[in-house]
Amino acid sequence: MEPVSAALPEKINFSGVGKTFFVRGTEVQALQPIDLAVRAREFVALVGPSGCGKSTLLNLVAGLLQPSEGSVTYDGKPVQGLNFRVGYMTQKDTLLPWRSAADNIGVSLELHCRSVSKAERAERIAAMVDLVGLSGFENHFPGELSGGMRKRVALARTLIYEPETLLMDEPFGALDAQLKLVMQDQLQRITQDRKMTVLFVTHDLGEAIAIGDRVVVFSGRPGRIRAIRDVTLPRPRDVFRMRFSEEFSRLHEELWDELKDEVVKGTDI
Amino acid sequence: MAARSATSMRVRAGDGQPQGGFTALVTSLPGLIIARLLILAVFLLFWEYASGTLISRFWVSAPSAIFGMLVTWFTDGSIWPHLEATLLAMGVGYLIGCGLGVGCGLMLGFLPMVQRIVMPYVSGLYALPKIALAPLLVIILGIDIPSKIALVAITTMFLLLYSTLDGIRDVDRDLVQTLRLMGATRAEIIRKVLIPATLPWIFTGMRVAVRYAFTAAVLGELIAANQGVGYLIEANAGLYDATGVFAGVFIIVVFSVAMTELLTRVEGRRAPPA
Repeated sequence: MEPVSAALPEKINFSGVGKTFFVRGTEVQALQPIDLAVRAREFVALVGPSGCGKSTLLNLVAGLLQPSEGSVTYDGKPVQGLNFRVGYMTQKDTLLPWRSAADNIGVSLELHCRSVSKAERAERIAAMVDLVGLSGFENHFPGELSGGMRKRVALARTLIYEPETLLMDEPFGALDAQLKLVMQDQLQRITQDRKMTVLFVTHDLGEAIAIGDRVVVFSGRPGRIRAIRDVTLPRPRDVFRMRFSEEFSRLHEELWDELKDEVVKGTDI
Repeated sequence: MAARSATSMRVRAGDGQPQGGFTALVTSLPGLIIARLLILAVFLLFWEYASGTLISRFWVSAPSAIFGMLVTWFTDGSIWPHLEATLLAMGVGYLIGCGLGVGCGLMLGFLPMVQRIVMPYVSGLYALPKIALAPLLVIILGIDIPSKIALVAITTMFLLLYSTLDGIRDVDRDLVQTLRLMGATRAEIIRKVLIPATLPWIFTGMRVAVRYAFTAAVLGELIAANQGVGYLIEANAGLYDATGVFAGVFIIVVFSVAMTELLTRVEGRRAPPA
């Protein structure tokens, strides 16, 4: 079965995109020139060892960084300045410490560019709190929440305004195994329902296969693409049971062979 | 303040642990107060004895005389205008200084270019001992309360300007970036991130500045004034009246202790949300 997105237009395109940083006068190549096209409504999972430039890719799409070479386009136009079409859930949960969980989740809806009424805001916040399983903690401040809960607040805050593209940098890394599955399940439902395009960075190959339409395996520093595989498992997927399916095992084995070398080579994973 | 926290720690450490003798006495709160008063009593008694026997009364006066003078000041009401003048100079100057300091701090914080241009002047003025301005302020504003208000306001303003600016500099850039990506305008970033993030710094600055404001008010009066507690001390010193000087100093000590105590309480109650 072909993924739904096959017929859809291209959303994000990296062509010959490389990134070099200068750290105290020394040149550090974070990303070797790569080519990658992401179609609209596609869920692309990026896997690879630490420091392989996956986060750099997300920063380039968000317009927080400019490529050293090549070009990044979004909807066919080069990304210049901040890209307001994306919702970015960074590795660090950048919650506002003086706002309760609920007020953090709803902050985007208070902005003038959305101007959502107070009643609707409360309603959407409540729905999100429910979705990420934070009921009872709405009025807690970030400092009073565990790392996993803060991640969920950050996730809810990113999802609530329904950006057309989601950039997620290891969003579920801090969660325990069970909760991780629940969140993966929710995320694939939401992104399917709302027709979002997703770039999802993770360390966890199983997670990448479970929720991605495509899995991109990166090599260690300097990052480059080592393998790309389509995941043709039908949606909606049962993330709780699909791990036992034949295709999952086959893909996992195949991609693990690619990733394994990098993990062994990598010193910092 | 350090001494205070040290004693309160000792009180806590002693809780629930059986201890004997002197330690037990000092670790119970009434015992602690008794011990403190005892020291004061010994000191006052020695002073009273020494005055006129070991040292001439002319230099050190005596606790009984000082107490007598305080009673006179308060019963005939002659102290009130002075207290009022000092408190007015301090209070009004403090409020003006806080307003100006926070205002200028926010402005410089939000306009990095302006900040880069004027900062050398700001830090130059900050380094200047503000008391050196007192004579100038007297020339410009007269010997009355306004010149003291100005001195207090200038002192307070610089403290608040720096704490506000430090607060803005300390704001997590990632928070700003997150909101920017959500589509927040510059004004919304200021309102929803920069100001709330800076508030704790402003409060800290305001707390610290209370003491400086009081000092500035009294110093201003010591240099040139016609009323105020500082003036009272200076005037009595001019008359070589040690009793009057000590009585004035006593009022300032009581006031400082009360203020420190109050601020510590406020500090304790202000539990941060995170």
